[in-house]
Amino acid sequence: MTLDLRAIGLIAAAAVLYGLLPARARGWALLIASTVAIYLFQPALPIRFSDFILPTAALLLTMGAWWLTRRPADPAQQASRCEDAVSFGLILAVVIGLSLFRFVDAPYRLTPSRPPDPLALAMAIAGLIAVCAGGWYALQKRDLLRRRVLVAGIAALAGVFVALKAEPLAIALSGAWRGATGQDVTLASLADMNLLGFSYVAFRLIHTLRDRQVGLLPVLSLREFVTYVIFFPAYTAGPIDRAERFATDLRALPTLRAFDSARWSEAAQRIGAGLLKKFVVADTLAQGLALTPALAAHAEHPATLWLLLYGYALRLYFDFSGYTDIAIGLGLLFGVRLPENFNRPYLKTTLTAFWQNWHMTLSSWARFYLFTPFSRWLLGLERKPPTALIVLSAHLLTMSVIGLWHGVTLNFWLWGVWHALGLFAHKQWSDRTRAWYRGLNQTPRRKQAWTLFTWALTFHYVLLGWVWFALPDLAAALRVFAGLFGLSVGG
Amino acid sequence: MIHETTLREQLRAYITRELIRDAKYPLENDEGIITGGLMDSFSLAEMAVFVEKTFNVYIPDADLTVAKMDTLDQMVARVLRG
Repeated sequence: MTLDLRAIGLIAAAAVLYGLLPARARGWALLIASTVAIYLFQPALPIRFSDFILPTAALLLTMGAWWLTRRPADPAQQASRCEDAVSFGLILAVVIGLSLFRFVDAPYRLTPSRPPDPLALAMAIAGLIAVCAGGWYALQKRDLLRRRVLVAGIAALAGVFVALKAEPLAIALSGAWRGATGQDVTLASLADMNLLGFSYVAFRLIHTLRDRQVGLLPVLSLREFVTYVIFFPAYTAGPIDRAERFATDLRALPTLRAFDSARWSEAAQRIGAGLLKKFVVADTLAQGLALTPALAAHAEHPATLWLLLYGYALRLYFDFSGYTDIAIGLGLLFGVRLPENFNRPYLKTTLTAFWQNWHMTLSSWARFYLFTPFSRWLLGLERKPPTALIVLSAHLLTMSVIGLWHGVTLNFWLWGVWHALGLFAHKQWSDRTRAWYRGLNQTPRRKQAWTLFTWALTFHYVLLGWVWFALPDLAAALRVFAGLFGLSVGG
Repeated sequence: MIHETTLREQLRAYITRELIRDAKYPLENDEGIITGGLMDSFSLAEMAVFVEKTFNVYIPDADLTVAKMDTLDQMVARVLRG
C-alpha cells in the first residue's frame, strides 16, 4: 500500500483513536505506527523476502545512526536509558510481530508479501546486532575518534544511497541477491532494490550525523530519533524536517489538546487541498496532458510539445505539493507540524527565489550541508580561486546532488547542472545590475514590465529544465528541445 | 574585545563595497539585506569568511541563514557573541 486514498483514510481514522489515547502514550503510538507504516507502504518486490528485509535494514540503519549520534556522557541521554531499552525492545517486537503475518492469508497481511520465518529473522537480527556491537567495542578499544566514525557513517549512507539508486550497482546487488536465493539472475533490475522512502531517510540520517559532528544535534532518545526519521506522514514524500524541530513537537505531545478544533480544521483543509491537487488536478494532467517519453515521441507540432511541457510542469507541482499538503495535514492530526515545502515557486521572478520556494526542505538541506560549507572552504583557502569559479563550483556541486537525489541517472544530473548554470548566470547578472535594478523603483511601470519579463524568463527556464527531468533518454530529450523550437519533431 | 561601533562600520563598509557592490548604498542597520534582494546566500558565506579573518570570530554554518543574518543588527549581534 502506498500513500493512496485508502491509506490516507486509514491514517485519518487512526488519528481519532490516537486522540482517545492517554496523553503519555502518544509518543509511543507514533513510534509503533511509524514502524508498521514502513512495511505497510513498501511495495512488493520480486526477490523473496526483500520487501521485508529492506525496510528492516532501513530501521536497523536508523537505530545504528542513533547509536552514533548519542552523547553517552550527557545527563539527559543517561536519563533516557530505560526508555531507550524499551524503545529498542518495542521496535524489534513490532518487526518480529509483523513477520508473524507469514501465517496469515495475503489479503489480511500488513506486509507487502509473505514475510520471512520469525525465528530465522530474530536470529539474523540478533546476529547482526552482535556483529555491530563487537565492531563498536573494537573501535572503542582502539580509541578511534568519534568524529571519524561519524564521517564514516555519512560516507556509508551515501554509499548505500548510490548502491540502491544507481542502475548498474542496483542490478549487481540484485543479481547477487537473486543468485544467493536461487532466483533468476537475468531478471535483476533497479526496481528490485526499490526501498520506498529511502531518499528521505538517508538525507535525514546524514543531517543528524553531520549535526552531531559539529555539536548542533540535541540529545535525542531512541524513540524520538526513530520517529523523526520514519514518521509515517512524511515517510514516502517528505518533507525533510530537522530533528531538533521535530523533537520539540514530540515533547509537546503530552500537553496536546486531543480534539483541538482549530488544529483539526487546519489539518482537514490541508488534507482536502492536497487530495484535490494530487488526485484531481495532477492525476487528470497525467492522463495524456503531461509530457512523457511516449507522448514526446508522437508529438507532431511544437505547440503540442509546449502544451505537454506546461502540463508536465503543472502536474509535477500539483502532485508533489499535494502530497506535501496531505503529509502536513496528517502530521497535524497527530500533533506534529511538518515544515512547508512549496511556496508558489512558479510565481517567483528569479531562479534563486524559485529554489528558495520549490522543495524548500531539500534545497535548505543542500544549502546547509553542501553549498555553504563548500563555498566557505574555497573562500577561506590561502590561494583562493576567482570568486566566480567558487560560485560556479558550489552551484554545480549542490545542484548535482539535488539532481542525483531524484535518481542516480544522467538525466537527473543534467537537470541539476541546468539549474546550477542558471543560478550561476543569475548571480553574475544580479551582482552587476543591483544599482540599476534599484533605480527601477523610480519608474513603477518599467519595474512592473521588468518583473513580468523576469517572471516569464524564470518560469520558462524552469520549464525547459523539466525536459531533462521527464525524459530519461538523452537523445529523446535533445529531440524535444529541438522540437520545441520547431527544428524537428519526433524521429 | 571588539568595539561595537567599529565592527558595525567595518561590516557595513564591507557589505556595501564587496557584496552589494555599491559603496555609496545607504545600508540601514535593520534593513533586510537578503530578503531585500541586496545579497544572496553565497554572500553570507563571503561575509562569514571576512568576519573570521578580520575579527577572528567563527560563525557556524548553522547561523548563516536568512532568518538569522538578514540585517546588519543581526550580524553585529552574532559577531559580538563570539
